[in-house]
Parts: sequence; structure tokens; C-alpha cells
Amino acid sequence: MKNVTAGNPKIVPLTGAGACAQAMRQINPDVVAAFPITPSTQVVEDFSTFVANGQVDTEFVTVESEHSAMSACIGASAAGGRVMTATSSAGMAYMWELLYVAASMRQPVLMTLVNRALTGPINIHCDHSDSMGARDAGWIQLYSENNQEAYDNLVMAARIAEHPDVRLPLMVCQDGFITSHSIQTMQLEDDKAVRAFVGPHKPYHSILDTDKPATWGALDLQDYYIEHKRGQEQGMRNALRVIQEVSDDFARTFGRRYGLFEDYRIEDADIVLIALSSAAGEIKEVIDEMRTKGEKVGLLKIRSFRPFPYAEIGKALSHAKIVTVLDRSASFGAHGPLFTEITTAVYNYSPNRPLLLAHTFGLGGRELTLRHIEHIISESRICLDKGEVGNRQGLWVNVRGDKL
Amino acid sequence: MNTLKNWQDLPLGGVIVEAGSAAKYETGSWRTWKPITHRQHCTHCLKCWEYCPEDAIILEDGRDSTGAARKFVKEVNYFHCKGCGLCGRECPVNKEGKVKALEFVRDEV
Repeated sequence: MKNVTAGNPKIVPLTGAGACAQAMRQINPDVVAAFPITPSTQVVEDFSTFVANGQVDTEFVTVESEHSAMSACIGASAAGGRVMTATSSAGMAYMWELLYVAASMRQPVLMTLVNRALTGPINIHCDHSDSMGARDAGWIQLYSENNQEAYDNLVMAARIAEHPDVRLPLMVCQDGFITSHSIQTMQLEDDKAVRAFVGPHKPYHSILDTDKPATWGALDLQDYYIEHKRGQEQGMRNALRVIQEVSDDFARTFGRRYGLFEDYRIEDADIVLIALSSAAGEIKEVIDEMRTKGEKVGLLKIRSFRPFPYAEIGKALSHAKIVTVLDRSASFGAHGPLFTEITTAVYNYSPNRPLLLAHTFGLGGRELTLRHIEHIISESRICLDKGEVGNRQGLWVNVRGDKL
Repeated sequence: MNTLKNWQDLPLGGVIVEAGSAAKYETGSWRTWKPITHRQHCTHCLKCWEYCPEDAIILEDGRDSTGAARKFVKEVNYFHCKGCGLCGRECPVNKEGKVKALEFVRDEV
């Protein structure tokens, strides 16, 4: 715990991407290497302005591709720097092999990921297929409902990722356009307070420390590879604790409280919806509306998808009678990635067995309106009354040709 | 052979913090064929030493017929020799084909 005073925060209108650029300015990382891609472009664009204006000390590396961006980030991190980047969709897909390298080399690179559909046909709007594809790469994934959360998550990111018990890269995800390009009023914390909260970066076996030479990225075969992977897994397991510790300290300093997930009116809820990021905001509004009509419905919004807090979520769902999971990405031929995790959590850690209903929505930016959510809740109630989900299982929402 | 460490005792991310630690790595366990030196046929030209990718040909100091100091092939370091066969392929005595200065035999497993 650090004793940081909040200083003079400001209430400002910012886009989600702009808010993350502001967090990067306040953190003042040693190196930023990035290649612009819609809809994350504004993060890099704003930050390059801060570099040009001399507002940060960052070495800004303009690379020719995302593959190079992540390579530069890994090298700079191994050299002992605090390193940040931003990308979306195909940009992160192009970083693919390096995502694994960053995680397995235990380099705490920080990324703003503005979620966008992975092609094709080519589409620039939001869904979570980019980050869900990278869920096994070994990065911590925090999802943000709105601009404030995206900013707050990025302010907390360095202390989580660089914690000696964790040492893993971290991506802060926000919804492309819906969050990244929407101006919302939010609280921008004091520059000095943020810098004090984040604290200095402590390098781990820097390759620039010539008094203590070290080799990074050497060949690793049958005799040690799995031990290194086991250590990497431990970093993720420890991250569950560290994310909460840092979030608690953030709440003490800046007043906004975060958990590994957020529960909204679930204490007595028969129906619990589960979602990530911006959809949660709309769902809360519908919940309030339907609660006035007597429907017992709540929401569980996942903040930490990797590591996934199975036990805590299983416990939180112990009173639910039906759990309806809204996946904003498809795992073709299988249920969505969020649904499978929730199923695991409920089966192993929940004393009761609620009905579980999987829905896919919002691919390529297809809107999820309040009426759609209302309909999903009504359909969940029908399933609950029948005692089975039947042929509603796996339905896609707001697709012409399907009924939901 | 080193005692292998548990995952808890390793530096993070596979970083190697000890210089020259590759010398402790037993690449000899990869071998299926092994070179045997026949010193009575060897001209000590050192081609094998020059080509060996693992630095597994061990030399010793000696003197030639004129009394000048020079290096001689002593033996093979089987801890590092992977059995790649380059030494035997490059050996000029082997190439002549009458006798073998470096003979490859099946390694006992």
C-alpha cells in the first residue's frame, strides 16, 4: 500500500481512446512502440502529440508493422524499460507470435486493446474476436465498460503487470468505437498523483546491465520448457490476488472501487446476465427498468477474463436460477469463450446448478439495443419457467433470420 | 549431468543469468552415432577440430618432428558431441578411403 494523495482531479470530456492516451502521458513510459490501426489510432495519435510537445520523456518508436511494434516492446522491456503500446483487431493478430514471446519471457508490456472484429469480410467495428483469440497467449486481460474504467484500468496496469509475483504483460480492453470514439465525462486524476501511484519501474535482469550479463530468449527444450511454463502459470494465478490488491489501493487513493468482476443487483436475482465491456452499461439500464416491473434480474460483468476468477464467480452465482451469457465473439462450432468459462465456474464452484444459456451478439458492431436485452431477459424467464433452455441454447441475438 | 531444478527455483521467463552455462548442457545425450579416433592413422591436421560445431574435439600440446610446438588431436568430448558426423566427413584420411582416422560406430544407448 502506498500513501498517495489524490491531488487535484479534473472532470473532463474524453473519448475512450483519448482517456487511455492521457493515462499513458501520466505514466510517462520509457518506450512506446506502436503502429496505428482503427479504432485504436487515437491512442497512438494523441500520445505522439505528447511526445512532440515534450510532455513525456518516452522514446517513441515508429515501426513498420505490429509484428515489429511488439518485437520492439519486448526488446525494450527486456532492456529494463516500462513499455506500452496500443492496437486493435488485425494489428494484434499480426503481433500473434510475439504476444506469446512477451508473456513467456515475463515482460510486463502494457497494451491498450481497442476491441475490433477480426476480418472477414473486412469490418472495423467492435466485437471481442481479437482478444478472445489471444486469450491463451498468457496476457492478463482486463475489460472496461466505459471511458473511466479504461483509464482506471490502465492506471492500475503497471503495478499489476510489474508485480514481482506476476511479471506478465497486460492488455486493457475497451469496445471499439462504442467506447473508444464516444466522448464521455470522466474524472482525470492528477498527473503527480497518478505518477506516484504507479511508482518507478524496477527492471528484472536488464540486458543493458553489463555488470550482470543475462541471456533472454534462449532455446528451451524438453528438460526445462514445461518448468518455465509452470512458472508462467503461477504468475497468472498470483495475478488474481495482485489485481485485487492494486484495485483496493486504487480505491483508497482515488475513490473508485473495482473487483475481479462487478455484480449488479444479483443478491436476489433469479436471472443473471453475464457480459463484458460496454454492453454491461445497457444491461444495467434494462435491469433497473425490469426490476420496477418485478422481474428479479441482475448482471455480472467480468473485468478480469485472464486470469479468470472461477471460484469467486461460482460463489457469486450460487443463488441464480438461470445464467444467460452474452458472448461478443464466436468460437465456431462451440459455445462462446465467456460461456465455457462461466460453465466451468458454476459446475465446479457453485453449490447449485442454475440453467445455463449461451447467446452470441454484436459481431462486427451489430447493435444490442435495450429492447434486445429486454427480450433476452424475457426469453430467459420462459426457459426458467419451463425448467430447460431447449432449442434456445446457442441462439444469436439480432441476426436477421434467427428469432432472438 | 546437472541436477535439474524445480520450477520454483528458476529465474523468470527462461532468462539465463550465468555466462557460459551452455558448457554444462549435455548435448551428448542426443547422439545415436559416435566418432572414435584412431590416432595411429591421424595426421593431426585439425580439420575435425575446425569443423566441429560443438567444440567437442579435445586437443593436446605436443611437438612435431622438428621439435616445434603444435596441437595434436587427443580425444572426443562425449558430453558435448552430438554425433553429427561432420568430423568424419571432413577428415582427409577418411576421404582417401584406405583407413579411417575417425570412425563412426553405433552409440550404445
